[in-house]
Amino acid sequence: MIELENVSFSYDGQEHDGLHDINLKIVDGECVLFCGRSGCGKTTITRLVNGLIPQFYQGELHGRVLVDGQEISNLPMYQIAAKVGSVFQNPRTQFFNVDTDSEIAFGIENEARPPQELAERVEQTTEDLHIQKLRSRNIFELSGGEKQKIAFASVYAMNPEIYLLDEPSSNLDMTSIQELKEHLRLIKSQGKTILIAEHRLYYLMELADRIVYLEKGQIKKIYTPEEFRKLPEVEREHMGLRAVDLTEVLPPQKCLPVSAPILELQDITLHYKKRTILHHIALSAAKGEVIGVVGHNGAGKTTFSRALCGLHKDCDGQFLWDGRPMDRKARLKQSYMVMQDVNYELFADSVEAECSFGIRNPNQKLVTETLEELGLVAYRERHPNTLSGGQKQRVAVAVSMICGKNLLVFDEPTSGLDFDSMAQVAGLIRRLSDMGKVIFIVTHDFEFVCRTCSRVLHFDEGEMPDDVPVVMDALPKLRELFSVSDGKER
Amino acid sequence: MSGERRKKGLWLDPRTKLFLILICVLASMFAPSLAYQFALVVLIAILGTFFGKWKYVIKAVCFYAVICVLTVWIMAEMTGTLRTMFIAFLGLFHKVYACGMLAGIVLSTTKVNEFLSAMNRVHAPKKLVIPLAVMLRYIPTIQEDWRYIKDAMRMRDVSPSLGGFLSHPGMTVECIYVPLMMTASKAADELSIASVTRGIENPNPRTCLVQIKCGIADWMIMTVAVAFLIFELCVRGGVIG
Repeated sequence: MIELENVSFSYDGQEHDGLHDINLKIVDGECVLFCGRSGCGKTTITRLVNGLIPQFYQGELHGRVLVDGQEISNLPMYQIAAKVGSVFQNPRTQFFNVDTDSEIAFGIENEARPPQELAERVEQTTEDLHIQKLRSRNIFELSGGEKQKIAFASVYAMNPEIYLLDEPSSNLDMTSIQELKEHLRLIKSQGKTILIAEHRLYYLMELADRIVYLEKGQIKKIYTPEEFRKLPEVEREHMGLRAVDLTEVLPPQKCLPVSAPILELQDITLHYKKRTILHHIALSAAKGEVIGVVGHNGAGKTTFSRALCGLHKDCDGQFLWDGRPMDRKARLKQSYMVMQDVNYELFADSVEAECSFGIRNPNQKLVTETLEELGLVAYRERHPNTLSGGQKQRVAVAVSMICGKNLLVFDEPTSGLDFDSMAQVAGLIRRLSDMGKVIFIVTHDFEFVCRTCSRVLHFDEGEMPDDVPVVMDALPKLRELFSVSDGKER
Repeated sequence: MSGERRKKGLWLDPRTKLFLILICVLASMFAPSLAYQFALVVLIAILGTFFGKWKYVIKAVCFYAVICVLTVWIMAEMTGTLRTMFIAFLGLFHKVYACGMLAGIVLSTTKVNEFLSAMNRVHAPKKLVIPLAVMLRYIPTIQEDWRYIKDAMRMRDVSPSLGGFLSHPGMTVECIYVPLMMTASKAADELSIASVTRGIENPNPRTCLVQIKCGIADWMIMTVAVAFLIFELCVRGGVIG
């Protein structure tokens, strides 16, 4: 049993993400979903239960957090770890070993179990979670979804009574989310208590017993899944929440008329380390088109986007812009990639400096206009690192506009975003499209695709079998690509 | 059973590796001449090939050979301040090179969990071991980060090459260290969190899926290392030759 009694918390030197006067009891075997806008405090609740507050994050804490009658703040971390297993958002920084076997055993090694038991537990975990394929592999070579599975397996091997997941689906594709759901179903059937803080809600509707909606650090309302499903779409969006049922998400009725193509790819074949990643890709795109790119991990989406931007060397075939062939250098000039982790592409110490970074004679007027256009004027003096994820993304877009790039590639721009931020990114993309940019978006986000994209390219096994318009008529195909089931599961 | 699933190359106890680094530092320090320095590098190279690190070894030895030839040439041809300057610089370089090369091999062949258990066996304090383990784990992350940063630089028309560095040193350095710092502090936090929430701070002696023990290979390699050091000391002391 988990009890939060009159809990308030505020992080040192930070106004948002705090909690005010939280009272909540979670009984054994319950599955509770915490949702709400970014910064509403849902992650903070998970940190209270796994002891990271107050032991890792400093701040002002009032009230008591009890797990099985024991106060969490009085227990050392390693004792909490035996009771409460945590899975986090970022698969890249959750593993500690280089090979998967040692990683699965990491938690139980720390518990100092005898070697014989270690081996048995690892075997048992492998079997229960069906991850035979992932044994004895180098973790650095796994996809995000596979890494997340190993992180889950490592916690599962410790066999805690309480599982705590903080936005576990943020970096996962649709198939991996399905598999995560199966794993959650398994632990639920074992009678474990599950706490999940999450933006993507649809995959949890069958699992959650209660849904806690937080606003500005307070519990606004607690729903049952039935009540929650009945919320009208408008109200749900007003609460800043993502779709509850993906089958209710629909593409527009008809697509906008398309002008003459400006970008043309002729017979493009891409190699990576002597392996052919994609072959014979041909497509054309017009100004203002927004093209979604989907496919499993390893299907060549990344290589394709890097080649498009002139970052990948090993490719055959022709890229034409306005009828003229573009070599790698020309593509590099013409295009810009907004990375999933934007931190890699921000170099300067203020937003304004960032916008003119590396440009010999920066056009100050253009810089100001662009900042105004993207609503960044108020932040021009701020250090990019102090901005929110969405604001950083806009800074990167501003850079691309100032550099006069006409071809933009977004890599997973909506991972881990709530409804408001997602709608904002969609608005930004639409504005870029109105300016006549050609936009490619690598994404797994069906809701986002329906709002922004005009077409979806599907890569699979080195080919591009599908090029589907995002319209009502193509709904069955789109659902297939994003593994949206027809809701028969209910 | 899974403990025996080591695929390629030699496996050494992390304690042996630490011991080798210690001996290597001493051997570099007491090396009587360039020939012995070179012999040390070759010995490390042989160790590297046992670990299956062919490419790394070949590059490292070739590079060192070039530096050696350069040193000999400078000693023979140059005079005056330029010579002193070069000798001071190269002297330091020769002392450090072998250790750096060995450290590279050790870092790339030691698993974090093996390292943790080995440190446990020698009763090293957890306060020291945990940050070291986080660091050991963080190194491969930098490689991944570097790939993204290179891409980002190219898109901003900053060349991530030696030429680019020489023509715009300030800007190139900024482009590398700003994003690295930003991602590093976040990654270090997240790694620490991932480890404490899985009980790394448990004071009980840690067990390990892979059993670490000092085998014949460990003893043999340590013997060779010690023998080399003693031989060097003898030469220096004038016992031999």
